[in-house]
Amino acid sequence: MSRFHHMTPAVCCCSKTQSGEKYTDPFKLGWRDLKGLYEDIRKELLISTTELKEMSEYYFDGKGKAFRPIIVVLMARACNIHHNNSRDMQASQRSIALIAEMIHTASLVHDDVIDDASSRRGKHTVNKIWGEKKAVLAGDLILSAASIALARIGNTTVISILTQVIEDLVRGCPDPMVHEIAYQYGKNVGIAFQLIDDVLDFTSCSDQMGKPTSADLKLGLATGPVLFACQQFPEMNAMIMRRFSLPGDVDRARQYVLQSDGVQQTTYLAQRYCHEAVREISKLRPSPERDALIQLSEIVLTRDK
Amino acid sequence: MRVQHLLLRLPGYLGALGPPRRLWRSRSLNSISPVGSWRGQSSRSPAHWNQVVSEAEKIVGYPTSFMSLRCLLSDELSNIAMQVRKLVGTQHPLLTTARGLVHESRHNLQLRGLVVLLISKAAGPSRVNASQNYDAVSGIYSCQRSLAEITELIHTALLVHRGIVNLNELQSSDGPLKDMQFGNKIAILSGDFLLANACNGLALLQNTKVVELLASALMDLVQGVYHENSASTKENYITDDIGISTWKEQTFLSHGALLAKSCQAAMELAKHDAEVQDMAFQYGKHMAMSHKINSDLQPFIKEKTSDCATFHLNSAPVVLHQEFLGRDLWIKQIKEAQEKGRLDYAKLRETIKAGKGVTSAIDLCRYHGNKALEALESFPPSEARSALENIVFAVTRFS
Repeated sequence: MSRFHHMTPAVCCCSKTQSGEKYTDPFKLGWRDLKGLYEDIRKELLISTTELKEMSEYYFDGKGKAFRPIIVVLMARACNIHHNNSRDMQASQRSIALIAEMIHTASLVHDDVIDDASSRRGKHTVNKIWGEKKAVLAGDLILSAASIALARIGNTTVISILTQVIEDLVRGCPDPMVHEIAYQYGKNVGIAFQLIDDVLDFTSCSDQMGKPTSADLKLGLATGPVLFACQQFPEMNAMIMRRFSLPGDVDRARQYVLQSDGVQQTTYLAQRYCHEAVREISKLRPSPERDALIQLSEIVLTRDK
Repeated sequence: MRVQHLLLRLPGYLGALGPPRRLWRSRSLNSISPVGSWRGQSSRSPAHWNQVVSEAEKIVGYPTSFMSLRCLLSDELSNIAMQVRKLVGTQHPLLTTARGLVHESRHNLQLRGLVVLLISKAAGPSRVNASQNYDAVSGIYSCQRSLAEITELIHTALLVHRGIVNLNELQSSDGPLKDMQFGNKIAILSGDFLLANACNGLALLQNTKVVELLASALMDLVQGVYHENSASTKENYITDDIGISTWKEQTFLSHGALLAKSCQAAMELAKHDAEVQDMAFQYGKHMAMSHKINSDLQPFIKEKTSDCATFHLNSAPVVLHQEFLGRDLWIKQIKEAQEKGRLDYAKLRETIKAGKGVTSAIDLCRYHGNKALEALESFPPSEARSALENIVFAVTRFS
């Protein structure tokens, strides 16, 4: 088991599975179950009001990374294999993948209004095209559609853990230990993902990201890199308190961060969360899906956008 | 009650409640808030309406005044109040919404929640005595009380989201851009917070059919608000050419669906059969419709003209008036009532009053009132049922 604690991404985690299958790309492995993901999401958004429908469908165009649905389906299979040696995925588990993506997208639509963002995933945001009022309604609509889909799964336990989307997909698995593993994996990967996001806001340039950088500073937000830098440069405190609101603050803060070890510290923290996620998921029975999840957590660390 | 004490501080945070200002551009809450809006109050014998409501509250054994704000426990409340307070002095609609909510609370008006509680009590326990360990206080199960609260949360959330402002439509008279941006932020976040609380509450009910009903009611409500927005952003005051039947469909979405489906859900929670559920749905739907039409009629039935004499061109009497007149004649009337591009509401109002729109709106209001009463007939006579009847009477009274 110890070999899974490496940081170097393993191309093939030599696990023995039922079929001895090997894989190279967790995204490809996950996508097998997600064909038609966006068409199916659009079916949940069947409403008569044309413009509202268009707005709600806007981000379900097949161009998103679908990171969360991929984790969901991989986790479903990994848990199914662990629990009863069956790789079959239930329809309800796949529904969770859809619902996860819908809830995530609804929150993005609202976030863009809050941040007054003009672009996302390389295209204009909903609020810039249709205005803030309609954008907020579109977000509410997607959320309601996701809730309806969730209700139709017909499982009250699933609905109870509405906010812990990753855990939902182990519905039907009576083993609470598996629930816990899935939850810990999701939580730790989620935190690592966000920390890397915070790092990329300093280290990448806007073309790569698909959205402008130094966005967090401009919004007055002090994320990981800033807080670590502040330990080295206490003079940053005043800027943090006033949320980088004076002219020149954003640039100065950025310079401090780049001079300090803030980026490195934050990256290291993200690595620790990933380690923890891997440690948890390694408790499951070996399978290509389990190994894909391990590899995914490593990809979280090494992504550049 | 501790929450009441906290909420009584809220007006202090928001500044004194002065006379209602003319709302910045978007639809005034007047026509979309429950009947206790401060403009509607005076012409509908407040003593009578308040009496109906306070008797109803005694019947359900529960002060419903602060239902939708109960989730705002001490920290949350002062946080949110602090943020909203920064809007004092700006023209962001959220401030008006917040004041309206506080005003409503003072006048005991969380109408949807109250109706859900009353209908729960009126229906009583079902014949199928499900062996859940419910605990019925004053004849209402605790899950039904929860549902009433959730209904108010959803209503309030969308009330708050309705107040979002389009930034590219701002004019210099609206004040600084950053005030509007800030107001939008707080409005989105507080609305989302209320929705999240509603979702959590729904999950705790452990009933997927109820979740589906309320989620679909939310979807209806969002579409209804969308139509409202579209109707109010026309140039030259010319509204969409919709007839009364389209108006009814859209109004069902924006005003009827939530109450109708909540009433149905209340029955489902007590395991009543499909017929009872349908009757509850019908009551909720028709009562909400007549309530909305009543609200729309207020500007046309008051004898003395108040300082704020505006009304919405997409309201029931106006839509009916247009239908009788025909589109072309109506557009002509609007043009004639304009002076240098501004609409003389007083003049247009007199024109409408002279036509058949107002009387047929009153008829329509009573039609829905009667349908609501019909639905109630299938419930056994009781105090709660009488209270529901009284609400209908209050809402269809025009003298």
